[in-house]
Amino acid sequence: MSIGFVLPSASKENKEVDVAIIGAGPAGLSAGIYAIRAGMSAIIIDKGNAGGLAEEAPFVENYLGFEGIEGEKLAKLFKEHAMKYVEISERNEVRDIIMENGKFVLKAEKGEYTAKAIIFATGTTHKTIGVPGEKELFGRGVSYCVTCDGYFYRGKRVAVIGGGNSGAIAAIYLKDIGVEPVVLEYMPTYMCEKAYQDIINEKGIRYITNAMVTEIAGENKVEKVVYKDRTSGEIKEEKVDGVFIYVGLIPISELAKKIGVETDNRGYIKVSSKMRTNVPMVYAAGDVTGIAGQIIIAAGQGAMAALAAYEDLMLK
Amino acid sequence: MGYIGDKDKEYLKGEFDKYLKENVKILVFTGDNCQYCNVATALGQEVAELHDAIEFHEYPVNGEEAKKYGVEHAPTVVITDGDKYGGRIRYVGLPSGYEFSSMIEDIIDVSRRDAEVSDEVKMQLQMIDKPVRIQVFVTPTCPYCPRAVRTAHRFAILNENITGEMVEAMEFPEWANKWNVMSVPHILINEDVQFIGAYPDEQYIKYVVEAWKKMK
Repeated sequence: MSIGFVLPSASKENKEVDVAIIGAGPAGLSAGIYAIRAGMSAIIIDKGNAGGLAEEAPFVENYLGFEGIEGEKLAKLFKEHAMKYVEISERNEVRDIIMENGKFVLKAEKGEYTAKAIIFATGTTHKTIGVPGEKELFGRGVSYCVTCDGYFYRGKRVAVIGGGNSGAIAAIYLKDIGVEPVVLEYMPTYMCEKAYQDIINEKGIRYITNAMVTEIAGENKVEKVVYKDRTSGEIKEEKVDGVFIYVGLIPISELAKKIGVETDNRGYIKVSSKMRTNVPMVYAAGDVTGIAGQIIIAAGQGAMAALAAYEDLMLK
Repeated sequence: MGYIGDKDKEYLKGEFDKYLKENVKILVFTGDNCQYCNVATALGQEVAELHDAIEFHEYPVNGEEAKKYGVEHAPTVVITDGDKYGGRIRYVGLPSGYEFSSMIEDIIDVSRRDAEVSDEVKMQLQMIDKPVRIQVFVTPTCPYCPRAVRTAHRFAILNENITGEMVEAMEFPEWANKWNVMSVPHILINEDVQFIGAYPDEQYIKYVVEAWKKMK
């Protein structure tokens, strides 16, 4: 049994730290460990649970040292490790950041935090696909989280829209818990790692390429997904009870933008090779930088961001 | 070997030492043909053993105590002071997976006899003067669900008309089906107003107020 961890719902607090890290996914947790070990004071603040999107990954097979581990377990190990060093404030959303006397003041649900430097490790959230039926049938068969909702479809058929790594893993997970998935991929080839492609074939999961989804349809709940075959132009459909959408991610960078941090046209925070942003004493790490969307890279970037903050704060 | 690992026990002991004030009761209601009742009992006992301020009691779901606390399903876990909070902070089904942390946070809040919400939300909570029941359907593998459960429970701690009830959808599939639960967290207020998602307090309370207004 996994019990996760807890932080008390403490009363409103006021804290002053060298580095405030927003987001307790792999990047933020790694940044926290490096910051404290370097001799800075730090806090990690997350609007949800520590772990980030890594928690949703049914299975991770490419993190060094682990041949295969559930995302949830890996996230818990990260968290336990980080907690040995740094305070993690969970379910505490940072809502605004202002500058006061040359420092950043983070206004959050559970209090105010003053910091000399900020590391944005805010990650990404699921992208919507934007077809008719998606919004209307959300919660009635349309879902974005396979570990949350997969069990409701045991013995039923579902479509996974998006055949990248996340979609592929979702389909494999669904198959393993007794759901019959079909993957619909827009591109003409497999968009996931070869390793996942092999499992998909081995498990006999259908993976349809060149499929442009045009509609999710159903009366009161999902009944079918309609797509255009991009090679023939033919309109086809799959009768399903559910649709899991894995068409990519959007960066959570609104707060960063508000304090003048530059992003690219998709909203990913622009960083230097040492994770500095254009705003002095502001860094970014992990998926919000849009570099690779990989746990191991996020952890590395988090470490780098903390080291850069250390250089800028302590060595100058 | 229990359900809670040694490392986790050590951590929880530390947290309880820091934050527990008044006594807290963990009440586990069990019945026959109940797949997870033994686990619920064991979990409750193991947690209670970690601190003197926590008491553990097990009661049959068809008995007097169950009636007193308004409990109808097994297993149900109630976190209470035995008095003011009655059976209003409860888990129908096992508080396992991510929900285990919700239970721990509840124990701390019940022991403090207080919970945190913003002043704005507190004002809206004060309006609720009739019984409102917030049910939160979850799965144990849903990382977003504890937030929705804890909001219901924090509201229940702050207003004696509110009952916050987690329902584990996998253990009670017919119940979940009845309300067309297909995505979690799925929140159902007074078996009337529904929404899906782990919303911040400010949005959450609007649904609670909406359900309360409909009672007039």
